[in-house]
Amino acid sequence: MEDSKVILSVKDLVVKFKLRGRILTAIREASLDLYEGESLAIVGESGSGKSVFTKTFMGLLDANGWVDSGSIMFEGQDLAKYKTENDWIKIRGKKIAMVFQDPMTSLNPLKTIGKQVQEAVELHQGLKKEEAKKAVIEILRDVGISEPERRYKQYPHEFSGGMRQRVVIAIAVACKPRILICDEPTTALDVTIQAQILNLLKRLKEKYNLTTIYITHDLGVVANVADRIAVMYAGDIIEIGKCEEVFYNPQHPYTWALLSSLPQLGIKGKPLHSIKGTPPNLFYDIKGDAFAPRNPKALKIDFVEKPPYFTVSPTHKAKTWLLDPRAPKVEPPESIAILRKQWGLNKDE
Amino acid sequence: MNDKEREILLEVKNLSVEFGKSKKNRFRAVDNVSFFIYKGETFGLVGESGSGKTTIGRAIIRLNETTEGEIIFKGKKINGKIDKELDKELTRKIQMIFQDPMASLNERAKVDYIVSEGLYNIKNYKNEEERKAKVEKALLDVGLLPEFLSRFPHEFSGGQRQRIGIARTLVMEPELIIADEPISALDVSIRAQVLNLLSELQKEKGLTYLFIAHDLSVVRFITDRLAVIHKGKIVELAETEKLFNNPLHPYTRSLLSAIPLPDPRREKNKILEVYDPSCHDYTTDKPKWVEIEPEHFVLGNDRELEEYRKMLEN
Amino acid sequence: MSNKKINKVADGITENLFEFAEFDESEAQRAGYSNYSYWRSTWQVFIKNRVAFFCLILMIVLVTFTIIQPYLPNQKLPTKIYIDEKTNMQLRNHPPDAEFWFGTNSIGQDLWSRIWSGTRTSLLIGLAVAIWEAVVGIAVGALWGYVRALDRPITEIYNVLDNIPVTIVLILMTYILRPSMTTMIIAMCITGWLAMARFVRNLIVIIRDREYNLASKCLGTPTSRIITKNLLPYLVSVIMLRMALAIPAAIGYEVFLTYIGLGLPVSIPSLGNLINEGRALMMVPSLRYQLIFPAIVLSMITISFYVMGNAFADAADPRNHV
Repeated sequence: MEDSKVILSVKDLVVKFKLRGRILTAIREASLDLYEGESLAIVGESGSGKSVFTKTFMGLLDANGWVDSGSIMFEGQDLAKYKTENDWIKIRGKKIAMVFQDPMTSLNPLKTIGKQVQEAVELHQGLKKEEAKKAVIEILRDVGISEPERRYKQYPHEFSGGMRQRVVIAIAVACKPRILICDEPTTALDVTIQAQILNLLKRLKEKYNLTTIYITHDLGVVANVADRIAVMYAGDIIEIGKCEEVFYNPQHPYTWALLSSLPQLGIKGKPLHSIKGTPPNLFYDIKGDAFAPRNPKALKIDFVEKPPYFTVSPTHKAKTWLLDPRAPKVEPPESIAILRKQWGLNKDE
Repeated sequence: MNDKEREILLEVKNLSVEFGKSKKNRFRAVDNVSFFIYKGETFGLVGESGSGKTTIGRAIIRLNETTEGEIIFKGKKINGKIDKELDKELTRKIQMIFQDPMASLNERAKVDYIVSEGLYNIKNYKNEEERKAKVEKALLDVGLLPEFLSRFPHEFSGGQRQRIGIARTLVMEPELIIADEPISALDVSIRAQVLNLLSELQKEKGLTYLFIAHDLSVVRFITDRLAVIHKGKIVELAETEKLFNNPLHPYTRSLLSAIPLPDPRREKNKILEVYDPSCHDYTTDKPKWVEIEPEHFVLGNDRELEEYRKMLEN
Repeated sequence: MSNKKINKVADGITENLFEFAEFDESEAQRAGYSNYSYWRSTWQVFIKNRVAFFCLILMIVLVTFTIIQPYLPNQKLPTKIYIDEKTNMQLRNHPPDAEFWFGTNSIGQDLWSRIWSGTRTSLLIGLAVAIWEAVVGIAVGALWGYVRALDRPITEIYNVLDNIPVTIVLILMTYILRPSMTTMIIAMCITGWLAMARFVRNLIVIIRDREYNLASKCLGTPTSRIITKNLLPYLVSVIMLRMALAIPAAIGYEVFLTYIGLGLPVSIPSLGNLINEGRALMMVPSLRYQLIFPAIVLSMITISFYVMGNAFADAADPRNHV
């Protein structure tokens, strides 16, 4: 992976929103390098900023939001500087495409499925009617929709949730983008359909050589699809590393807390580990580590100074003062040890 | 606990619920479902969307009308027409927690009114002081401060709103609480908080829960017995651990295999079991609801039941 | 890269910062307290719309003026016919001058006071009809929408009533009972509530199955309280929109009825009368003022209420509260 090219590079991005007269800082100097051909998962809860973060790559921020500072380098251009629709039209769909959470509202209920996919194909591949229609039927077959010729003429309400999501994916992939962003693509779907959609996304990634970003709060989904994981909290990426590294060797207290509160770890009769308190109010400036107020093992410095990235391995780093050589040695909570036992790992792995 | 001595709080017998008025449009959401819930336990009902699990919950609390069958609560039939006295009693004794904390509270009413609403209806208090005391206690029980009474729902987070919803049911002092996907709409770290709360309350107050969910990983932690429902029919029912260790029905197995494991090595190498309804041949051999081992029921025809018995022996 | 950063940061950091801090659980609970008030946000979005705000001020000034106008000094009576002392003739069709600010009409009455008296009358009619529409419309609409058993019967009644042309009812009523302010109000009330009822019913059908209403049912809340505490508060903004639009609509009907000869008698000035009288003289350029002045007042009222009503409906939508 270290040999792969970086196709998207975000540096110290700051995104603010104006809400009811006050300014909210949704992204606080987040940085990320996206390697070609990888599958990156961004994990976080609501309010962590994960959706906002990826929306800046496509200029999809709400009207009351803006990029305050930082850069997003893609194909030699700084996307953070793009202001007009004309600039974004070259990127959206063609280079970077997005699959949203709710397939019900992502499709136009008044147009047939075939027409909607065809629009994308005609626009981005420049094919004309007959060829476009053939391409559409191929794509529909590719995403696993049986009898594509018949389905071409049907409307979204005649499809089930899982099928609709396949169509949305078809539209996104039809443009052969370089980067595919999937914003909680399976949260609204049943668990059996979810598994099928994830398999589909993996297959398409292989076939079209896509680089994918998954946004989710479900660690199970992450374990399934991701090569690398970025954990977001309060608008910043606080830990990033290879999938196995973050799962089997988490370093940041928030990552510990996320892993510990998995219901799978629960022992009947004993309470589940839960994180006290609520995420911080992003209307106020945050001093130090954003997670400190909820961290029973916080150091004094966590309230004073924002931690920089500390390297754990060439591919794994975390923003926590606990990794500083001067910090006391803190063991991950007991639940992590239980997890490791469940996973069949011994202490050193 | 000796099963014969456990009191049955709720029994559902051959329940069917159909929607649609005309003869052609009738949709059978719940088809001949039978189960019972013991006092003090947490009974899980798991299925995907459209399986009928929410319909069953709403039929028990009398939001939906039933088409066939009976629902029996503490020995009395509660579906169909019932007299005012029983209706009033049931309003108190059976309560419901809803899924979406953003939609289940009245945005234009203060928390005080929301939590007291039930009390105003059943007039279970002598004077204003007593009402206030009950409401404050309910809030404290769920871990919220009494000062929240004068605020509006939009000032609270999802987890806190769900707690207000729980307080609203607690103040009625119910015996059975139907929790309809109470944590599906919450953030992952908040889910643990609410699950812990529900567990505590059950221990403290001797509550019985009907826990409806679509996420099997959550259910394993909190339920004592579990029923799996598919397209209106219950296909398997067993003690939770027995079900997870020995799933018999192919649908149960596919559901279990689909749960995403937070373990990269196992998850990436997992082989998915897909459920194909046509694997059952019910043309000549009709399926039966059979107790294949103590406290483990499964739906199958004779041929399938033979296979299941063999699987259990291994 | 991270090593360089540590050295820079380390300059200001002492060893003891790496000790455990005390864990304060109440700090953990310090979430964002949002003091968002629905009505305050609605008001703020409303006044951001400059045109709507201007119309609001205009209407407030207008209504206040119509109320206080008779008490101002030097005002004339609207029905008094003015006689020229010199010629002993009626001061007919006098163009606007220092004495008669808006001139006089064809029988010598002061147009200025007639216009304000007429505006008073028309506004009163409009308000009365709007209030009636609201009360009856909401009551019927709420029951229609919420109580499923009533849905069929009321729909049938509505279908029948809706098909009776409003104009015919108005003409018939005015013909049977003699033309007067009460008649006009009654006639418009009989037909006006239908639209509001339909509107309210549609909205209630949309929200009646939301989870919070189901929750209320589970708690045993009676239908009347569900309607008043759960459903109506959501409809306040749209109800006010419809009321705002009802006022110019009522005035419009009044003008129309006057036009076809079934309006208020000339002894009671109203905008309808004034416009009708002015219309008769429209072709004579020097007398056009008799049409222009009442027309301007009517336009101001109509346009203002439409603009305000729509702006308010937009402002009341929580999605615009950003």
